[in-house]
This record gives sequence, structure tokens and C-alpha cells, in this order.
Amino acid sequence: MSVVETRGLAKRYGRTIALQDCDLTLPEGQLAALVGPNGAGKSTLLNLVVGLSRPSSGEVVVLDGIPAGSLAALDGIAYVAQDMPLYRNLSAADMIHLTRNLNGTFDDAYAQRRLDDLGIEPRRRSGRLSGGQRAQLALTLALARHPRLLVLDEPTASLDPLARHDFMATVMAAMAEDGVSVVLSSHVLSELERVADYLVLISHGRVRIDGVVEDLLGTHRLLTGPTGGERDPGWHAVQETAAGAQTTLLARTVAPVPTAQGWESRPVTLEELTMAYLREEKPSTPWTLVEVAS
Amino acid sequence: MSAPTVVVSPTDNVPGVSWRSLAWVTWRRHRATLLGTVAVLAVIGIYLVVTGERMRSAWQTVDACTPQRSEPCRFAWEGFQSHYGNSGILAVVFIFAPLLIGAFAGAPLIGRELETGTFRYAWTQGVGRTRWAVAMLVSGAVGVAVVSGAFGALVSWHDNPLWRADVTPRLQASEFPATGVAVVGWSLAAYAVGVLAGLLWKRVVAALATTVVAMFLLAFATSRVRMHYLTPLRTSRLEHPVGSQPIDQWWEKNGVHVSTTQLNAALQAAGIQQIQLGNGKTTVHAKPGTAQVDPITYLLHHGYTQWTSYQPASRYWTFQWIELGWLAALAVILLIASVVVIRRRDA
Repeated sequence: MSVVETRGLAKRYGRTIALQDCDLTLPEGQLAALVGPNGAGKSTLLNLVVGLSRPSSGEVVVLDGIPAGSLAALDGIAYVAQDMPLYRNLSAADMIHLTRNLNGTFDDAYAQRRLDDLGIEPRRRSGRLSGGQRAQLALTLALARHPRLLVLDEPTASLDPLARHDFMATVMAAMAEDGVSVVLSSHVLSELERVADYLVLISHGRVRIDGVVEDLLGTHRLLTGPTGGERDPGWHAVQETAAGAQTTLLARTVAPVPTAQGWESRPVTLEELTMAYLREEKPSTPWTLVEVAS
Repeated sequence: MSAPTVVVSPTDNVPGVSWRSLAWVTWRRHRATLLGTVAVLAVIGIYLVVTGERMRSAWQTVDACTPQRSEPCRFAWEGFQSHYGNSGILAVVFIFAPLLIGAFAGAPLIGRELETGTFRYAWTQGVGRTRWAVAMLVSGAVGVAVVSGAFGALVSWHDNPLWRADVTPRLQASEFPATGVAVVGWSLAAYAVGVLAGLLWKRVVAALATTVVAMFLLAFATSRVRMHYLTPLRTSRLEHPVGSQPIDQWWEKNGVHVSTTQLNAALQAAGIQQIQLGNGKTTVHAKPGTAQVDPITYLLHHGYTQWTSYQPASRYWTFQWIELGWLAALAVILLIASVVVIRRRDA
């Protein structure tokens, strides 16, 4: 079961290549995080997934094989765009009414309850809400549709730490209660450490690595050893930092304990792993660590 | 990884969204604009009702004057004409209001969504962007038609005494497009141009400016061709029929067109003051020392005929429907084009 599946997906804007050679399978019921620097192609990929734009080549299907952008796909996917576009002159209650009228499925009771919980005055114009409240309102409108897939584009970029935490808590609660799958893009790595099940790293319009977070962390080690010393042939150094006699490697390795002499090993954090891949000078060919059965 | 397989046909098992719900969405989104427009028009409307009532009672007095051909009655008519005939600023309002109603309704309709990014919200809802667009555009068109139709009816009512008094022909360029059903056509065309401009420019102000300029040019061009929707009638009588709109005036002798130069040569030879042919008017320039014979009378007595081409007042409604017809067709084409552009738009 996959919520998003792409094959040879590419998107060009004139001569600019925003995304290319994108082959992904995002599993159902999980939180998949799209990570990468600004302009890497994260929003482009999400636009293709929600049907706001069409592929230049390749294909993207969602929710077990429905073409992205079709009515069935739109019905099953809720999208919260960057900067939470809401009609600023409409009240929170109006936004709920509006969203109910634009969808076949809408849980009015859920939306009202969330508004109460959040302490958002229903008659307050959405343009006058705080950043955190606006984000929560946009998220509420999306979740009240009971989508199978929730797509969030940089949802927490403009939020303060507290609002960011509350927002992610709402997302996690919906995943637990509703079983909704989530795809979100972010460049805030620290917040993904505990929440992301699946990681997709994008830079310069290409997928650099993707895989289940646990597996990625399990197969990468931070190794410290003598510069120019003997290395294990099973290591693939993603990043190499030499400081005098000592060299630090962030390497892809199957064996958790180093076999080469003089090397020490410790687990990597998601942030270290991501940074290493983003800094990798000679990018390896994109690879998928674990193939997810679809 | 297995190849993706299509298991659901796109339209199956998707709960529908009714057109009524969508119409409500349009209404809620553009309620403020509509109420604002209606408020502005209400102010103009009150003014029109007040001046219209005053003009009506003035006309009743003139109309009741007997005998109609007498000097006092003629004096009363001229008083009415000079007081109410030149509507000045009002004529400008009449011409521009329908265009502005359409432009202000159309340009922001989709343009604002693109400008503020809310299309990312609207186009990812379950209803889909095609039905959303059709609902928005149709509801907007209905609103524009109702508002401009009401405005046109008020202008028609207001100017009715002027038509009956033959002060202003109904077919005149300052009356025709603001009255009857043509006024609806002009608003709808401006609305459709506004929608498409908003869609292409993605900026409301730029779209508004484009629309106003484009519609002004179209209105100007139309005013030059309107009088040829049907072949004009012609008359050799010096006074054209009541309520008719004169188009052109020229002299003939033995069925051959005679130029002003030739006419003046003939008059000069007879020692009579010269005439100058203006647009639909024959002006006599008095020159001291010339014979006291009316040049027109002289020409008529010497085998010349003055022809006037005109459109009779009875063709008003025919022309109204012709104008509504092509403007509405233009609007429909532009709105369909807009839906196509929305469907194809790539964020």
C-alpha cells in the first residue's frame, strides 16, 4: 500500500529543471518527510502530488494507483500549502462553511470541536488570527475532510517553537486516531527526528536518498580513525572530514561495528545524516535503501 | 517495485458537491464586492430617481401644452431641451457604469485567488477546479447581469421623457449602450474580459486597467459600426422622423452625388451666400451683401435633393438584441476560454 508513487517523474519550467528522475514509493500510514534546502524541488514534488501541476515527463499516482489531480485523488488528499492561504476577510466559521461546501466529505462536528479546543473565536477574521492559529485553522480544515493523505508544505516554517510543537502534535494525533498518512516538506531537521517514519532527501531537483528512517540510521555510522589508515571495503564514505591525524567519516555500512583497526564508531543522528548527504561533493547515484512493498 | 496500477476510475465513489453549495461559496466570497457595488449604484440610483421625477413632471407640462405648434409651446419645449438635453457628466456615468460593473466583478474573481495564493486552497478541495471555476464564473455572470440589467432599466426610465420629447434619440451613442438589454451585454463582456485578464495577469489592478482600456476601445469601435447593423433608411425630407438617429447627409442632382464645392460654386454663381455641410447639419453662413434668398430653398428649387440616411427609432429593440447577442457570445467565448486556462494552469 502506497500513498504516493512516482516513476521517472520530472518537472521543467522552461529551461529550468525543478525535478528529475524521481522514483519514489511513500508508504501508507506513515509520516514521510521531504527534506532539502530551499529551491531543491520539494514544493514542486508536492504540487505534482496534489495535482496543482502536471508532470513534464514520468508519472505520479496516489492512494494506490489513482492519477494525481483526478477527482478521486482530490477527494482523498488534503493539502495545506506554504504560508497557509486562507481568505483573510472571512471568519474561521466561514472558512469551515466554505470548506464544507467544497467537499463531498466534511466532518463539521470535528471542525467545530477543534475550533473550541484551540480557543479560536469563530467570528474572528482569518486574517486577524495569530500565525499559530492560522496554521491550526488551515490544518483543521484539511483534517475535517478525513483525507487518506495529508500533504503539508513547509507547515511550520513561519511558526514559533510552541506553535510548531502544537501543530505537529495535532498532526500526530490525527495519524493515531484517523490513520491518515502524512507527507510533509521541511527544512527544519530537528523537528523531524522524532516524528518522521520515512525520509526523502532532495537537492538540486534530485532525490538523493530515501528510506525508512530507522533503516537509514541503522546503516550509517559516524566513524573516527587514523587519517590514511586502513578502511573497511564495505564502507561508503558520504562525508569525510580530516583534522590532522584524525579523520571522521560518515559512512554507509552494513556492519555496525568497525572491522578495520583503529576506528571507532557511533550511531548518527538524522540531522548529521541529512547534512552529510547535502554536503556530499560527488553525489552517489540515488539509491533506495529498503524497497517498500506496494 | 511493482508498476503502479490504476484501480479506481476517477469519478467513481466520490461524494458529490452540489451546485447550490458552490453558488453559496461564490456568494460568500464576493458578498462584500456585490454589496459595495450595489451601494454605489444605489446612490446613483437615488439621484436618478430624483432627477427623473423632476424631468418627468417638467415633460408633462410641456407635453400638455396646446396647441402643440404654437409659439409658447415651442418655447416651453426649447426650455425643456436646454435644461435636460445635455446630461453631461451623467452621460459619462451611463456609458462607463456598465463597463465598470463588469470589470470590477470579473478582474478579481480569479485574479485575486492567483494574486494571494488562495487558489492553492481552492483548487485542492474535493470538488475539483473545473466545477469550482464553472460555479464561480456562472454565479458571477448572473450577478453582473442582474445588477447591470437593473441599472439599465433605471436609466431607460430616467431618460424616457428625453426620448419622447425627441431631445435625445434612443439610438444615440450615449444612450443606447446604457439602456435596454445591450447594457447587460456590455457588462457581461467587460466581466468576461476581466476574468480572463485576471487569470493571465495574476494581478487584480493590472487586470482592471487592461479591462477598462480594452472595453473603452471596444465601445468606441462599436459606436462607429452600430448604425450599420441594418442598412440605414434614407429620406429627402429636410426634417428626419421623430426619434430617429441621423447618420449622414448629402446632396444629389439627377441621382448624382454633388460635393460641397460644387454646391457652393452653384450658389456663388447665383449670388447667394454659401453653405457648409457639417455632420447631419446644414449651416448657413451669413455674409453681408449677399442676396436674402435661403440657399437651401434655392437648391431645392433648382433640381437638387438633400438626402439624409438614418436609423428609425422603431429599430431600437432590434439593434438592442443584435448588440446583446454578439456581446453575450463574446462573453461566453471568453468565459469558456477562462475555464480552459484554469484547467490547464500549472502552479
